[in-house]
Amino acid sequence: MHNSGKNITAAFVMTMLLIAGCTKEKNVTFGVNDKVVYEDKSLKTKRKSDAEYISILYTNLYQVPISPNQLYKTQNVIYSIGDRNVANEMVLSNYFNTSTLKIPKDSEMRADVAAFVEKCYKRFFLRYPSEGEKTFFINYINSNPNVSVEMVYTAFSVSDEYQYY
Amino acid sequence: MNRRDFFKKTGMVTAGTVAAPYILPTGRMFARTNAPKAEYVVMVMFAGGVRQQESVLQRYLDDSQEVTGAAGNIMPNLFTGIAPDRKIVYGTDPGGGATRGSEPIPRILSQSMEDTGAVFKEMSAISAGHYVGLNTLITGSLGTAQGLKTRPKYPTIFEYLRKHAGFAALDTWFIANGLGNSTPLLNSSKNEDYGLQYGGNMFAAPYTFGGVGREILGNGKPYSRADLDPMYFMKNFLDQSFGLNPNQLETIKNTDEEKTKIKEFIRAVFQRQDQGLIPRPPVSDNGDAVTISYAAEVLRHFKPKFLTLNMSAVDGCHSNFTGYLRSLHRADHSVGWLWNYIQNNIPEMSGKTIMIIAPECGRNLNPNPILDENDWYAYDHSDANAMRVWSVMVGKNVPKISVGSEGNKVGKLTDIVPTIADIFGVYDEVKASPYLDPQSKSLFLRM
Repeated sequence: MHNSGKNITAAFVMTMLLIAGCTKEKNVTFGVNDKVVYEDKSLKTKRKSDAEYISILYTNLYQVPISPNQLYKTQNVIYSIGDRNVANEMVLSNYFNTSTLKIPKDSEMRADVAAFVEKCYKRFFLRYPSEGEKTFFINYINSNPNVSVEMVYTAFSVSDEYQYY
Repeated sequence: MNRRDFFKKTGMVTAGTVAAPYILPTGRMFARTNAPKAEYVVMVMFAGGVRQQESVLQRYLDDSQEVTGAAGNIMPNLFTGIAPDRKIVYGTDPGGGATRGSEPIPRILSQSMEDTGAVFKEMSAISAGHYVGLNTLITGSLGTAQGLKTRPKYPTIFEYLRKHAGFAALDTWFIANGLGNSTPLLNSSKNEDYGLQYGGNMFAAPYTFGGVGREILGNGKPYSRADLDPMYFMKNFLDQSFGLNPNQLETIKNTDEEKTKIKEFIRAVFQRQDQGLIPRPPVSDNGDAVTISYAAEVLRHFKPKFLTLNMSAVDGCHSNFTGYLRSLHRADHSVGWLWNYIQNNIPEMSGKTIMIIAPECGRNLNPNPILDENDWYAYDHSDANAMRVWSVMVGKNVPKISVGSEGNKVGKLTDIVPTIADIFGVYDEVKASPYLDPQSKSLFLRM
């Protein structure tokens, strides 16, 4: 009888603790401040390796990854030429001579030059152009009707900035 | 004109030629420190570790395989001497069941280089290894701590010539024989006083112009000037905007016009391959002959003031002595062919060129245990005998002379860079470099 009273008391205390320990969950919503995630050119201090450069370039232009065998061969050929820029330009001109390249048409570029320039900077440099950069390209493309998408893409692809990240 | 006037006028002209200053690409005024000896230099880094015994000493099998009575000269274009008359295996295969290699390749030159130029018969190498040896030839420094997979620690001859003699990038070329052993990095150091902005142009010819090179480069669009100008204009704008500083350069620099010329050359080589027009030594059955062929193409096309090329087939001596003898004989043949080609096919360079030939290291006195098809022992390169080398110099203003002998060393491989500087008239400027071996000096001063 004495034990039964103790058990009842213990059960009562446990129940009260359980009730006191449960609180209603608060509904909290977290926010994120607006942040531009594109790169800043001043932070690009690391040079891409030849393998990185070729892989990124190939994927950028063909929208599919380069095969390991093709990557290895391209790397060796670039390494075999003293001026890497010459090698890169020649590799690129080979790419532009293929039909499976995925690049905009010249007419699309001419239809909205400003948008094209912005897309170029984002596609190749992963950043937005400055006002000065944007103005230069818009003026240059508009005042030179012979300038093609291929020419602009070549300039971006072999630029110093594209070789850094 | 009387005799007195003649000497007075010629003296003034000579002094004027030597002292006439001009503006270097760096913007500095430059005056030659000595009269140039020739307009062009071709340096051959010969050929992957050569023993004195089978080359300049003309001992053939006598000092290597315990054969007696089989001494003789197997390098008839470089050295003067009678060929061996026993156990001939280094030539071409006559067929018909005759011994393989038993037909020596006929000499190309009417006279050996030894008969017309200077031979330093016993010189010191700086290292018994390939890459440090090549670095020694290219930099003139004692950089024995040079690591693989890194550019030379000290300025190269390309940088010295471009900085001090004002040579353009297309005036200096390195033709490498492949991608191994870090050789494609030899065209420039990253030294803060010189560096890639003064580096030489380079092709690792078997790759650039081989099957893979053709596949990767051979289908390019032949852009016209009108196409290229806007591309370079936009690229230069982007580069200016990015503002890379010279310390961040990872490649040598050519101007836009120079780059266009190099691309045109590569395309022209592929076309000439298709037409069967690439000049080749008569016997061109190894990689060295291929490398030499493309060196000849670069010489013919660009007429560079300085070109160096690397050969390495004799390094097969690690495991095949017979193959080594064949490669040595062929290296002599290829070099003789190149010298002949310059004299007969490149009129701008004929009679105005000096060729310098030197191995980057020797090979051991004693063999390793590997036997070849003739049961002959192979040789590595790691002992004192591997530090013994020779050098041959031939061409304009090179006297016929033999310097040094077995047991009487004269000169070392670090002398080659100051010798080239001497030939181009910038000896004092290059000798003042703190990176050069202080004991080195022009081989002309050691004659």
